[in-house]
Parts: sequence; C-alpha cells; structure tokens
Amino acid sequence: MNQTVGQQLIIAAIPVLPALVFLVLALFGRYISEGAQFVAIFGVATSLVFSCFALFFVARDGRPIDFAVNWIDFGAGGSFQMGIYIDGLAAVMLVVVCFVSLMIQLYSGAFMQDDKRFAWYYAVLNLFTASMLGLVVAPNFIELYVFWELVGLCSYLLIGHWFEKPEAARAAQKAFIVTRVGDAALFVGIIMFWRATGTTSYEGIAQAAQAGFVGGSLFTAAVVLVFVGAIGKSAQFPLHVWLPDAMEGPTPVSALIHAATMVAAGVYLVARTYDIFVQSPTAMLVVAYIGGFTALMAATMALTKKDMKRVIAYSTVSQLGYMMLALGIGAYTAGIFHLYNHAFFKALLFLGAGSIIYAMNSYNIFDMGGLRRRMPVTFWTMVIAGVSLAGIFPLSGFWSKDAIVASAFADHYYVLFAMALLTVFLTTFYIFRAIFVAFMGEPRSEAAREAIESPGIMTGPMVILAFFAVISGLVGTPLRDFFAEIVVPSEFATEALAVEPHEFNVTLAVVSVVVGLAGIALAYALYVPKPERATALARRFSPIYTFLDNGWYFDALYDRIFVRPAMAIGIFVRQFDRSALGSFVTGIGRGAVGLGEKLRPLQGGGAQNYALFILVSVLLLGVIVGAQYAFLTVALIAVIALAAVALGARL
Amino acid sequence: MQQFLDTLSATVPLEGYLVVGAITFAIGAWGALIRRNAVVVFMCIELMINAVNLSLVAFADYLPNAGGAGVGYAVLVIAVAAGEVAVGLAIVLAVFRTRRTVNVDEVNLMKG
Repeated sequence: MNQTVGQQLIIAAIPVLPALVFLVLALFGRYISEGAQFVAIFGVATSLVFSCFALFFVARDGRPIDFAVNWIDFGAGGSFQMGIYIDGLAAVMLVVVCFVSLMIQLYSGAFMQDDKRFAWYYAVLNLFTASMLGLVVAPNFIELYVFWELVGLCSYLLIGHWFEKPEAARAAQKAFIVTRVGDAALFVGIIMFWRATGTTSYEGIAQAAQAGFVGGSLFTAAVVLVFVGAIGKSAQFPLHVWLPDAMEGPTPVSALIHAATMVAAGVYLVARTYDIFVQSPTAMLVVAYIGGFTALMAATMALTKKDMKRVIAYSTVSQLGYMMLALGIGAYTAGIFHLYNHAFFKALLFLGAGSIIYAMNSYNIFDMGGLRRRMPVTFWTMVIAGVSLAGIFPLSGFWSKDAIVASAFADHYYVLFAMALLTVFLTTFYIFRAIFVAFMGEPRSEAAREAIESPGIMTGPMVILAFFAVISGLVGTPLRDFFAEIVVPSEFATEALAVEPHEFNVTLAVVSVVVGLAGIALAYALYVPKPERATALARRFSPIYTFLDNGWYFDALYDRIFVRPAMAIGIFVRQFDRSALGSFVTGIGRGAVGLGEKLRPLQGGGAQNYALFILVSVLLLGVIVGAQYAFLTVALIAVIALAAVALGARL
Repeated sequence: MQQFLDTLSATVPLEGYLVVGAITFAIGAWGALIRRNAVVVFMCIELMINAVNLSLVAFADYLPNAGGAGVGYAVLVIAVAAGEVAVGLAIVLAVFRTRRTVNVDEVNLMKG
C-alpha cells in the first residue's frame, strides 16, 4: 500500500474501462450500432493513457504498484485475493496491449463496416482487451486463471465471429478445445502449488519454494504443468495446431490475438512466474527446447503456405518460440523485449494482410501480384514490418532477436543457437516470399488488377504501427538500454540463474543480419525474376513440399489419435443415451399412458356410476377412520348400501 | 293398556331417529344409484338430504351441549337443497330439450 487512493483508482480503471465498454455494447449495441466504435475507442484510449501513467509511476518509483483485497476468505485456511500488481514487465505489457488494441479498433471501423454484428464485434474485442489487461495485472494464480479463461472465451467468440461459415465455427471450436488442454494442465499445476504452499500468489509460491516447503519432482511437475498452460495459449509445440486455423476470424482479430492478447498470455505467464520457473532447471530446459523447436518447426511450415494470413500465423508461432527460448535460457529481458517489439510488427503484418483482403477479397498470395503500384502504403508498411520481423539492422526486430541469439551463444546453448540462427534464415525467406509474390511481378487475377488502396482509417493505424516497428527497438539498444532498466528479472532470479552479463557481440550481430539478408536474397531470386524456378523446385522436392504444406501432418496425426477416438466415444455415449436412458424415460411415459388407457373405461360418463364410486369410497373411509359410535352407524349404512347395490346390480 | 299408552307417549330414544334416518338415507342412495329417470333421482337425493336433516335435528335435541347448532345446520341444508334442486331441474330441462330424454343412463357426455 504505497499509493494514494486516486492512483489505485486509475490503475484499477485500466482493465475495468474496456470491461464497462463491453457491458454497454453488449446491452445497448443494437441501438448504438455503427457508433459502437467510438464508445470502444474512447474506452481503450483512456486505458492507454492510464497505462502510460502506470508505466510512469513504476519507472519513477522503481518499485511495483501492489494492492489487493480479499475475495474469498477461508478464515484460518487463508484466502483468495483479487488485486493488482504492476512492475515494469506488467506496465510495459499494459501499454503494448492498450496501444495495439487501440490501433486495431481504429482499423476495424473500416474493415468490419457493414458487418451485421458490428457492435457485438466491438463488444467482444473490448472484453478481450479487458481480460488480457486483467491477466497482466493479476498478482496470483487464481485471478490469473479467471482472466486466462476469459481470454480463451473471447478468442473463441472472435474466431467464430462469422460462424455462418462452417470452417470458422470449426476453427473456433478447435482453438477453444486445444487451448483447453493447456488450461486444464495449468489448473492442475495451480492446485498442486496451492496444496503444497497454501497460497496462490506468485510471490508466496516463489518464497515457499526458496524456503524449501515444496521441491523435488512435485515442484518440477507443477512448474511444467503451468508451462503446459502457457504452451496451449502461446501455441507452442505440440499444442500449436489451433493458431493457423484461427485465421478464419476477421483479420483485425488475428492481429489482436497474435500481437497483444491471446498468444502473448503464455509468454507473459512464464515471465510473470519467473521466480518460480528459475528454481527448476529441468523446467527451464523444457521451456528453452520447446521454444527453440517450435521456432524452427513453425518456420519450416510457413515456407510453403499459399495463404497470406497462414504465413503470418506460422510466423507468430515461430516468434513465440523465440520468446520461450529466451526465457528458458535465462535471457529474461531479451525475451520480453522481443514480445514487445513483436507486438508492433506482427500487428502491422496482419493489418497489411487485412488491407489486401479488404481490397481484393482473397487470401491466396498467388492470386495477388503487382500490388506494389496499386497499394503503395500497404506495400511499404508491409516491407517495414517484414524487415523488422527478419531482424535487419536497425529496425526493432533486430535488437531483440539479436539479443536472444547472442544470449543463446554466450550461454553455450549451441544447439539452440543453431536452431535460432536457422530460423532467422527461414523467417526472412518465408516472409519475403509472401511479400514478393503478393506485391511484385504482374497481377495474377482480375481483382489484383483493380485493387485500390484502403481508406485512411485503415492505413493510418498501419503507418503509426510502421513507425513503431522501426523505432520501438531503439529503447533497448546496447548504447543505452532503457528497456532493461524497467523490465528486469528479480534479484533472486538473477542470482539463481547466475547469468553473467555479456557484451554486445558485433560479429554475431553481423552474422545474423547477413543470414537474414541471405534469406531475402533467396526469396527474391526464386520468386521475382523467374517464378517458374520456385515451382520447379517444389516439384523436384515434392515429398518435402507436401510434408511442410500439411504442417508436418500434425493435424492428421491428432485427428487419428485424439479427434476420432473422442468422436467415437461421443457417438457411443449418444447411442447409450438414446437407447438405454432414452428408452427408460420413454418407458415410464408409455407406462403411464397405458395405465390411463386401462383405467379409461371406468370413466363411462354415467353420472350414477360416479355417484357409486363416491359412496363406496366414503364408506370405506368411514370404516377406516371411523370412531367408536360412528363406526356402528356407518357399518349399518354400509351393509344397507351394499345390499342396495347388489339389488341394483340385479335389476 | 295404560302401559301401552305410556310407551306411546314416552320420549323416543335417539337411536330411533338415527335408524329411521339411516334407512331413509339408504333408500335414497339406492334410488339415486339405480333409477333411470332423472326426476326420480332428484327425489331420491332429496330423501338423502332429509335423512341427514333428521339426524341433525335429533342430535340437536339430544345433545344439550351442542347448543342447538344442528338445527341451524338443518336450515342451512334445506336452503342449499332448494338451490340444488333449482339448478338440477334446470339441467334436466336443458338435457331434455336437446336430447328428448331424461334417462340418466342415456346421457354420457362426461365419458372420459
């Protein structure tokens, strides 16, 4: 509690404002309709300003903003808290999330024009932003998990925004179910931590582990389970299969998912719980190798894709792999720095792809071609984003990517270093392949010939993002590393890792830039002067080409191993439900109907029969409950009445 | 002779009234259940009602602690019976108009 109440309110408003916008738009969206974008942009812009305040407070005071209230109190059993914890890492994330979200919401106004669920789209976009902001400020696992699930829900809603298309509906389900696997593991990990330490706060668990309350294989298992949660959200191997399919959603949503909200959550979780991760060297190695392998694997998958958005999607998987790799080898600041730079150029790449799609209604890069002249703004911003992604000096991607590659080399992780360097080459190749094919050469379709530049409300955010894609890296140059002053691992983590600081390695930087340029050169050579070369090459190595084009057959593999057995179980259960349970219930119903049919003749409609029933029933009642004297009378009446009935029956 | 006259002028015991009431009720019930003619059925119902009235009045007379409440009930029952006959006969008339019969066994509109 080292802040004034006013400060606390401002900080708390960062996630609350977009959530309020969600409520307003969800309730009154149909009346506001096109005005929804203004409400939404106002909310996010205010959050952005407040986030900048938060960053300023943290940078000025040099200590985290930290406050919490009890949420669920167990008395002696402790309590679950809801609170806010903002250190440099969280503050930077807040600014990035708000900024990217703002850009995307500006852009969406034109892109989603005439959509029939326009206001709902904005509502969910804001809920998405709100949940990500909530996740960023969470000081404990329980609060994190709440927002974690909300993020998953929003991604489901947005990927399936055009749910009339069956592919979109399927992609949304796939994203939800695959990330759900990770979520379940995360939840188990959280419970294990809670059982072992009695707390869910990151700090508490880290301290308990230091003090030796929890350790050994149990601790490692819990950490790895938490990491599996991060794998699911950040689309790392082996749970990466949902992200390329998530391209079925509107393109600005892809930008938001890839740049700021959904997939960043996994990397952020590892960074946030770094004090816990560093205490398990095994888990750190798992993080590093999963990251390195994913980076390489996804880059190879991107090589052959014809769909512009899928190329960028695999690129995200690959870049997230870099970040995991960096975190795993102890290059904490470098990993987060890459997350921060990546947000700008990846959002830009998607907005550029969206701009092309807006102009010519196709995702296939081989339908495009020659767009350089028709859409100059899109072309140049895409090139900037591509160069930044490729990590060419002096754009932002260079600084962070080089830091990661250099750390891998300096800390003697030579396998990971080789993977990372190879990935640099593949990355530049695939992204420039897409750009060259789309923008150079001659138009390959009618739509490409008639494409016109997107309106200013779309190119505006792209230009702003391009500006940041160029300069965002400059806050972390070796000359003066502002970024590393704000985002630092805790002292404990630094000690535990025992990473010796290493100098900026010029040779290595030159090597990585040269490798990157080589990738660009190869892409140019194959696709611009004589595109036949690429086709010939693909034909020559067609088994490899098909293997890569099918994404290493992961989808087919998962289909065999998980999807089909699950479907079989589902069909069996449905069958069981219908035949066993269904017939049981139907049987009861039929029994009642049958009994009714049997009793129906009694209702003959004759008033005298009814009267007879009444009389006999009353007599029986009288006999049963009759008192001493009344019994005699009633018995007398009964005898007479029965005699009368008998007589009547004979008549 | 004198003894016979004494017997005649002696108060009738409660059981006497009750037996007469019970027999009347039984006759009424028997009639209501087996006679076809709706008008006769009504007459039988009147018999049952009056049997009950007789019991009520007898009890009112023989049970001093009851404070004569039975008489009050009897008056109430007579009033209700009058209303019931009015409604019932109206129904019988209506049935007769539409179906040209007052035989209750030919009227089975309430068949389930």
